[in-house]
Amino acid sequence: MISKRMYPWLDERLGLSGIYKTVLDRMVPKVNWWFTLGSATLFLFALQVVTGIMLSAYYVPSPDKAYDSIQYIMNGVAFGWLIRGIHHWGATLMVITVFLHMLRVFFYAAYKYPREITWTTGVFLLLATLGMGFTGYLLPWDQKAYWATTVGTSIAGTVPGIGEFILRALRGGSDLSGVTLARFFSAHIWMFPAIIIALIGVHIYLVIRIGISSVPKEND
Amino acid sequence: MNDLQKAQYKEKYLRAKRNGEKFFPDSLYRDMLVMFAIFLLLVGLAAFVGVAAEPKADPSDTAYIPRPEWYFLFLFEMLKFFPGSLEWVGTTVIPVAAVFALLLLPFYDKNPARHWKKRKFAIGFMSVVVAAMVFLTIRAVVTTPAQENAGAVATTLPAQISAGQDIYSVQCAECHGAEGEGGVIKGVKGLEGYKMKAINSQDEMYTRMDDTLYNIVEYGQPDLGMPPFGKAFGGELSRSDIDNLVTFMRYTWDNRVEVPKGAAQTNAIPALGPNDIPSYDVNIAPIVKRYCVSCHRPGKENNNYYMGSYSDLMNSGDHKPNIVAGDLNSNLIRMLHGEKIEAGGAMPPTKALSPDLISIFERWVKAGAPEKPAK
Ligand code: HEC
Ligand code: HEC
Ligand code: HEM
Repeated sequence: MISKRMYPWLDERLGLSGIYKTVLDRMVPKVNWWFTLGSATLFLFALQVVTGIMLSAYYVPSPDKAYDSIQYIMNGVAFGWLIRGIHHWGATLMVITVFLHMLRVFFYAAYKYPREITWTTGVFLLLATLGMGFTGYLLPWDQKAYWATTVGTSIAGTVPGIGEFILRALRGGSDLSGVTLARFFSAHIWMFPAIIIALIGVHIYLVIRIGISSVPKEND
Repeated sequence: MNDLQKAQYKEKYLRAKRNGEKFFPDSLYRDMLVMFAIFLLLVGLAAFVGVAAEPKADPSDTAYIPRPEWYFLFLFEMLKFFPGSLEWVGTTVIPVAAVFALLLLPFYDKNPARHWKKRKFAIGFMSVVVAAMVFLTIRAVVTTPAQENAGAVATTLPAQISAGQDIYSVQCAECHGAEGEGGVIKGVKGLEGYKMKAINSQDEMYTRMDDTLYNIVEYGQPDLGMPPFGKAFGGELSRSDIDNLVTFMRYTWDNRVEVPKGAAQTNAIPALGPNDIPSYDVNIAPIVKRYCVSCHRPGKENNNYYMGSYSDLMNSGDHKPNIVAGDLNSNLIRMLHGEKIEAGGAMPPTKALSPDLISIFERWVKAGAPEKPAK
């Protein structure tokens, strides 16, 4: 069989068995279902990336066209409703799983030595996920999106001293406009995903390097 | 944690690992199962719940009640506890403090214990915070009033065309005629006798792009007598309304545009077979809506004859009754035929209805002017 000769050849060059040993073939403590929340979040993020890339093929980030392009995705594109539906509900579910994952880590004290940095990157992941939610919400450019973002950004404007600056930086002017939409779009498809992917890399590296914590016992 | 505690932890952890399981396949199997369940759940939600349709963003509609995404609701609700000059406490101090409290948690929580029984304060504190977040979220949902005029949103082309038709019939027909044909205006204050050009012509359709039509309706042409309809300029049409209106005009009057299947039917006035008995609900209401309501509604010149509902149609007007069941000499029928009587002249004033529409009215009156279709 070809794979029989191919594998050693590839392994020699890519170090596949090394990866297999460190990532998959390792001992971990026996844990419970709560420990699936992190990988569930990872899966949801991957799903968001895939469906998001598909949506971006039809979505037009301009105030004139955004709404219509979404209508077209829902009614005109084959399975567009499914892709958008998954992206929409996936976002909600991801926020839930990230939050529950954080609570699981908190209640099992898994943020303590030696996993402090895993926790810190986790908090940034939580913030970035919320940032994804906030920026994504504006993109359909419908009434809900427009007014929620108007109120959301005006809240940022109440920060003492620099509020006015933050407000204008978020909106790209004093009012919501096409500039705001362009900024939120860019943040939603480039800035936050880049941050999240980098952080997930560190996060997962640490989880594998340190090993998943065990469920605390009475004497722990 | 001092070095001794660290060493103790490491040893315990090694033991737990040795008595543990293989990541692959044992742990990964559980992970995959959950992922698969999540995928099914998402497909189910997309297929059976879907994404709620909303009207297009409308900066002029300040009556809209803003609703943040549900997972931010607790933040918005919390702000209500910091009114006026204290607002910045809710918007800045608490969120920033919360973020730092989370970020630095492993560094100020010096308690080396991990079992919940030895971490009662931490567990209790977090539980209270989570309970408060849940409480605030529920409170926000319960106390936010329902959206006004949260009617159905037209999302498909046929639905948009049909919504546009309804708006056109009510708002525009009085000046531009039921089909946009124009003519000499009768019965409109301020424009009596004005010779209106057709807006359904190819000249018009070929030279006015959708954006132009949109602006004409939104801003009006006040100097020429065309009132503004956009909310931003004091009218009553939202962005979505005007979009639908323009879609209707384009798909109905522009002969370059192909009307999609299904769109034509939703728009049509129901046909009547030779032996059918017409009723108000099925046959008359659509005709009246398209050809008469534009003038015959409150606030217009019409001898107080409103035609928005069955009872108004039968019982209102300075010369009521305008319809007498079984009597073809009723005011309304005579006026449809262009007779000049005490109640007024030809109806509609600019262009008579087509003979088959008039005959539907006649057959309806002869049959006793029923409201509901016969079973
Ligand atoms: C009170 C009467 C009135 C009403 C109601 C009205 N219009 Fe007009 N409209 C006018 C007048 C007057 C003009 C100027 C016509 C002309 O130049 O001869 C006009 C012009 C127009 C034009 C042509 C402008 C151009 O230069 O091509 C369009 C299109 C139009 N109206 C659409 C509408 C639509 C759609 C509605 C319903 C929302 C509407 N109008 C309601 C009076 C009215
Ligand atoms: C362009 C505006 C306009 C349209 C469209 C219109 N009407 Fe009228 N209608 C009037 C006015 C104005 C009067 C008041 C009498 C007059 O000035 O001729 C009136 C009066 C009437 C009256 C007499 C009411 C009374 O009690 O005095 C009847 C009946 C009537 N209309 C029927 C109709 C019907 C049926 C249609 C639709 C097929 C229609 N009208 C469409 C403007 C209109
Ligand atoms: C995009 C968001 C996130 C992803 C994809 C992610 C992914 C993961 C995965 C796959 C694990 C393995 C263990 C498990 O599944 O429970 C893990 C562990 C961990 N995560 Fe996350 N995580 C995210 C967010 C967070 C957040 C918000 C926190 C906390 C603030 C956090 C803190 C931790 C910690 C401390 C561990 C180690 C837990 C242990 O060893 O028991 N993570 N993460």
